Amino acid sequence: MTISFYAFLCGFLALTAVVAAEIEDILSAVISLSVFGILLAIAFAILQAPDVALTQAVINSGLVTSLFLVAYSQTEKQQFRRKDKK
Amino acid sequence: MIKLSYATAIFIFCIGLYTIISKRNLFKTVIGLAIMESAVLLLIVTSGYIPGGVPPLLPMNGVAVNPLPQAFTLTAIVIGASDVALALALVIKLHRRYGTVDLDKIRGLRG
Amino acid sequence: MHRSSVFFRLATLLFCLCLGWWFWKGIEALEHTGTLTGPAVHYVARAAEETGASNLVGAILFDYRALDTLGEATVIYTAVCGIAMLFSRSKYRKSSTGLSFIVKRGLGFVIPFILLYAAGIVLMGHLTPGGGFQGGAVFATMTILFCIVYGSNFEAARINPKIKEFIESSGAVMFTLIGLVGLIAGAGFLANSAAGFPTGRVGSVLSGGTIPLLNIAVGMKVGAGLSTIFYSMVKLLEVKYEDAVEVDRP
Repeated sequence: MTISFYAFLCGFLALTAVVAAEIEDILSAVISLSVFGILLAIAFAILQAPDVALTQAVINSGLVTSLFLVAYSQTEKQQFRRKDKK
Repeated sequence: MIKLSYATAIFIFCIGLYTIISKRNLFKTVIGLAIMESAVLLLIVTSGYIPGGVPPLLPMNGVAVNPLPQAFTLTAIVIGASDVALALALVIKLHRRYGTVDLDKIRGLRG
Repeated sequence: MHRSSVFFRLATLLFCLCLGWWFWKGIEALEHTGTLTGPAVHYVARAAEETGASNLVGAILFDYRALDTLGEATVIYTAVCGIAMLFSRSKYRKSSTGLSFIVKRGLGFVIPFILLYAAGIVLMGHLTPGGGFQGGAVFATMTILFCIVYGSNFEAARINPKIKEFIESSGAVMFTLIGLVGLIAGAGFLANSAAGFPTGRVGSVLSGGTIPLLNIAVGMKVGAGLSTIFYSMVKLLEVKYEDAVEVDRP
């Protein structure tokens, strides 16, 4: 891999990390974290680590994202209930 | 290329630390924790890289990269995922007790 | 000063960047020669004869450093126990609606292939990249798909939570029993070829001694553990507010 491709990938990683940290809406931040996980898996594959890339892609972009979404939906229910009972 | 990787990992670690310190929403704290753990994993895997190396599988033609950092990165990924899951479970319990996930309001209530 | 004032955020950012500069000064002093150093030289040169596995990372995880893998299985078990304990006194209501009919039928075609993929990753962990952790995580993702598409009612009926607890515990017990076989044979806990397990021919499926068995044990534990975590967090979705969830949010 050429160094310019790897530099582009690192810049994109830093950009998604900044977006996941700064953005106000939680759903957008969680999706940005999932994209960060996939880009990190690509970076591991470029660094000649196929085991680690496979584990990172399955666990961080499949499991952790779905756990975040379940937690987010559990903490939103209260507001729905208040709107329905009004 | 190795120095670029190290610089990116340290920068992402600092962004994660900044998120944990200065954000009010508890979900942002957990996101910052996940970002910090991923930065450390990138740092560890880069430390075992050899330029021009091949993956450490056995029909090997060339110099293999160091397989030791990859072995403990595998363990660290799974431990990081279980620790994020436990943090999210604690956030759900806090929301059930206080009704909000805003840290300033939770501190103001004080039970 | 308030947490969200500009001065506080700039000061925090400056502090974090100073910390980052300090880390950079430390990391820059690491030297990178073009060759392997340390214990990796022995592992890369001698792993094929001593363990019989082709995947060097798998050989390190399950033969040379198998005690660390046992510790990591304990960490997963602790997290699963903690989460199940936090949600144990909640009232148990199941949601029985899933997604639409097309998604359900479509997933029914895909599920056997996903299971085959997970089993292939676990069983060929000593030959190709993969192993117990990856296969267990794919299996847990499959049970999450079941929960989302068919509703958690169906998922609890098909794969009983008690069966999941049993699989997880028996994975850990199998790992420890294989280690005790090495201790009984006089070679040390979790010993591979020194305890009499056959190493076989490098590159065939029946090779590696204890490595395929430990892969299966870890795959069972990780898959059942991560699936129990998801199921504990999702089993409280209430049935009454189903239509409130499906309304489009502005």
